[in-house]
Amino acid sequence: MCDSSGSLVAWIDGELGESESATVEQHVLACAECRSRLDAYQEMSHAFVAYFEAASASKTPRRLTYWVPVLSGTAAITALLLMFLRPALEPTPLPAPVATVSPTAVLEAAPEMARRTARRHRIVPVQTAKTNWSPAEPDIQITIPAEAMFPPGAVPEGVSFVADLSLAPDGSVEGLRLQP
Amino acid sequence: MSGDSLPLTLPFSSFATDVCEATTLYRELRKPLLRYLVCLGLSTDEAQDVVQDAFLSLQKHIAAGGSQENVRSWLFRVAHNRARNRQHSYDRRFSAPLDPEIDSIADESTPEQAVLEKEKFRRLGEAIRLLTQPERECLLLRAGGLRYREIGEVLGIPTSTVGDIVDRAIRKLVEKCNV
Repeated sequence: MCDSSGSLVAWIDGELGESESATVEQHVLACAECRSRLDAYQEMSHAFVAYFEAASASKTPRRLTYWVPVLSGTAAITALLLMFLRPALEPTPLPAPVATVSPTAVLEAAPEMARRTARRHRIVPVQTAKTNWSPAEPDIQITIPAEAMFPPGAVPEGVSFVADLSLAPDGSVEGLRLQP
Repeated sequence: MSGDSLPLTLPFSSFATDVCEATTLYRELRKPLLRYLVCLGLSTDEAQDVVQDAFLSLQKHIAAGGSQENVRSWLFRVAHNRARNRQHSYDRRFSAPLDPEIDSIADESTPEQAVLEKEKFRRLGEAIRLLTQPERECLLLRAGGLRYREIGEVLGIPTSTVGDIVDRAIRKLVEKCNV
């Protein structure tokens, strides 16, 4: 057997260095035995790949696993996070003031509003000039019972307040207005 | 993007890039991994589980700041080791026969050609069964598109040894099949 035949498979696979590869190439051109072996090895390599693909295809179902949705979901959440956080860092125009809602109506509608606002929760920065400050549309509405904040008897029964808060981009409270 | 927002958004952007890269890797490597595992003798469901598991491990590995070099051989190595563990636990032979559905392979134009192809595959199947475990594994990984260096990393053997094993395995197959 020719001495160079031991490098033929590695040569087919492109695993030889540049000079070694050139040597094998030149040898193959001159050696009929190695040319014949090379053909056989190449044919066998293709046959093995075909067999390998057929063997796995006959056992592999054509269904998607849940990993793609998991990754796609993560990518979507990341994209949403990026979109969600960016407005908090870039000043946006002052939103138009909304009509004042009566405290009773707020208290009655609180659970439903909380559900609605939770879905479209977004930090809306407002202008810092306190003289011109006006409440933005409430993004989060939280109902806190008077008993939780004041000692018993400090607040007469039936009295409630609506507090409009505005948050600065750094998270600090920028504006506060209490309405009866 | 304003300069102020840079420190906050960078980690998210980098995370998003990692996720996108992981998704691309998954699309690229899922099939070769499944093929390899099925050909090692795992059932389809087991192979799906192992691939799933390997990609989740990769995500943890990257999240923990692990090296992102040679990810392909890393995934194959993890999948390979898990497949081995499963097969040990189920007490199954590691070199289960690689039996394709021969009827579905032969897609030749004439019945004679189809018969010849089937016969060729049958002989090849027998020859593959006679290979040693490292020979089969090296050829399977090679058929999956891995370089010798990567095969060595998966199996924990030197690259030069992979070259010798692949060479020997191909020669054996050629001799047995009289190609």
